[in-house]
Amino acid sequence: MNAIVDVNGLMKRFGELVAVDDVSFSIREGEVYGLLGPNGAGKTTTISMVSCLIDPTAGSIVVDGHDAVREPGALKQSLGVVPQEVALYPTLTATENLRFWGSMYGLSGSALDHAVAEALELAGLADRAKERIEKYSGGMKRRINIAAGILHKPKVLLMDEPTVGIDPQSRNHILETVKGLNAAGMTVLYTSHYMEEVEYLCDSIAIMDHGRIIAEGTLGELRDVVGGMDVVDVRITEVTDRVLEHVQGIDGVRQADRTDGAIRVLTRSSGSILGRLVATLESEGAHVTSITVTEPNLESVFLHLTGKSLRD
Amino acid sequence: MGRLWRIAVKDLRITVRDRGALLVMLAMPLALIFILGSALGNVGEGDSLDAEVAIVNDDAGEIGDRFVEGLTSAEEIDAVFNVHIREDSDAVRTEVERGDLTAALVIPADLTEKVESGEPVALEVPQDPGSEISAGVWTGVVRAGVAHACAQIITGRAIAEALPGGGLPMSGAGMPELGFDSVDVREIDIEMEKQIPMLSYYAAAMSGMFLLFGGMFGAFSFARERREQTLARMMATPASAKEIVGGKALGVAVIGALQFLVLLAGTSLLFPVDWGVGTLAVVLVGFAEVVAAAGFAMALAALGKTERAIGGIAPALIMLFSALGGAMIPIEQLPSWLHPLQVVSPVYWTIDSFLELMRGGGLVDVLPGIGAVLLIGMVLLGFGAWRVRYE
Repeated sequence: MNAIVDVNGLMKRFGELVAVDDVSFSIREGEVYGLLGPNGAGKTTTISMVSCLIDPTAGSIVVDGHDAVREPGALKQSLGVVPQEVALYPTLTATENLRFWGSMYGLSGSALDHAVAEALELAGLADRAKERIEKYSGGMKRRINIAAGILHKPKVLLMDEPTVGIDPQSRNHILETVKGLNAAGMTVLYTSHYMEEVEYLCDSIAIMDHGRIIAEGTLGELRDVVGGMDVVDVRITEVTDRVLEHVQGIDGVRQADRTDGAIRVLTRSSGSILGRLVATLESEGAHVTSITVTEPNLESVFLHLTGKSLRD
Repeated sequence: MGRLWRIAVKDLRITVRDRGALLVMLAMPLALIFILGSALGNVGEGDSLDAEVAIVNDDAGEIGDRFVEGLTSAEEIDAVFNVHIREDSDAVRTEVERGDLTAALVIPADLTEKVESGEPVALEVPQDPGSEISAGVWTGVVRAGVAHACAQIITGRAIAEALPGGGLPMSGAGMPELGFDSVDVREIDIEMEKQIPMLSYYAAAMSGMFLLFGGMFGAFSFARERREQTLARMMATPASAKEIVGGKALGVAVIGALQFLVLLAGTSLLFPVDWGVGTLAVVLVGFAEVVAAAGFAMALAALGKTERAIGGIAPALIMLFSALGGAMIPIEQLPSWLHPLQVVSPVYWTIDSFLELMRGGGLVDVLPGIGAVLLIGMVLLGFGAWRVRYE
């Protein structure tokens, strides 16, 4: 399939700070592409440049065949943008907000009426369409925030951390909405620091840290970065260098690191080492309070690549 | 134009639901017009004792001199009037017309000659109708002076005739007939500009001033859109920066136009204020100020990034423009050294144009004022569009 979004050598510098450093990626038509990284990794700056909100210091962006510098108007018409903040007018009703945003994309008359009705249905808020946004819950605002980005049926939808600070029920609604839009053919660029969301939604994933893409691929490809290994977190009374040394010496342990009050072990087969691990710790006088086994995921990939947690 | 209008209508909807903004833009000016207009209702009429008057004595004979002497030497007169002796009667009439003098007395060149020949003669007393009381007192003083001077002359002549070899030069045969009836004191009301009640004055002044407060709320709206990310979201749509700035400015103008129409109707119906006969001209002056308010809003949005910053700048600038423009105290009472600075204040041109219309002027009379306000508005709008930041 052809790339509908093509980003090459993208860089953004704010004075001495390099917020985005030589970022390149392509998104195929109909794909959900995830940008995963902790706060401050450069995801929002990247998405702001793709949506022509800020000019890149260097690099090129092409969306649906339109260059961001030469044809920003046509590029913007191909994009739907769902910003991180709820960018709506609180004293206007949901319908008034949606009608306004639809009109900004050139919709009018019956086409606008139809688009607004459809977007309200998608948000599940048709019955509360005449209420002011200020009276909505956080999750409901988020849903209208998304609805405002898809009124004109964009080819590519940019979603910047759309689930920050909302209840689980609204989060599930949003994730299912994204799935549904993608199933209807919409290409999605989705940024988040929640690895579960990215794992659930995205066909391709780029992991960002300090303004750079440090790994890219499908979920399976990224899991292979850590060799498909399980993560075993063992919480003990006191982590000493001697204890850590003994754990690293256990046969089958690929890597052992000290984390906050615990030891994190990478292993190909957690089942085969657990008994020896506990025995070793007990023999060293370290009392085990809990053990958590996690199959390889993006968290372990990020940990493996950066030595820190996504939430750090 | 479609996007501009959509942005403007959206801003109008938001403003209509903002009670605080409505209070400042509509209720406050109406309340201030009523309070200031009522409290200062008589100040503008300009009547007071210790009035400035002038005498021009063109008479070549003795009666004129005696007359002047009588009017300038009496302590009672001195306590009430500041009497100035002048030589140019035309200049004096002009001073009365301007309101610099409350009244005057012009003694004709042939007063003595006509009195002695018994012919009727008239003394001219130009007076400012706006200073009715003081001018009336002055006229009474002049009448009393006539009687006194005539009595003096009659007495003098009678004594002279009784003395051996005495006598005054005669014109014609026998004793001249001197008396009150032969001297006519003509009160001449100089045609003055129509006096405007203070209620009307402050209707013009507060309208000019509070339309700029409408501009301040427009700037707040821009900063709020910046803070709440709706401005960034607009920038992510195909709308151009020009369309967004134009739409925001149009929004301020539409809101300001409605604000002015409400103030116009409110002051006409509630108080009532007479805005003059040229309704179209009144509306055009108001709408010109609305354009200035839109430019002011964009300039403020460029100067201050946040609502807090704009809130620090805007009231100070509005007060400065308003003070220079005469919105706080009447224009004619401002010191003369301020006059050159008034040209930069849209409030000055607006008030001046409204007052011109209230005095009976027409559209042609206020075109320069309208042009000046529009020019100031366009300069401010240009600055705002050039310097405003979106992120």
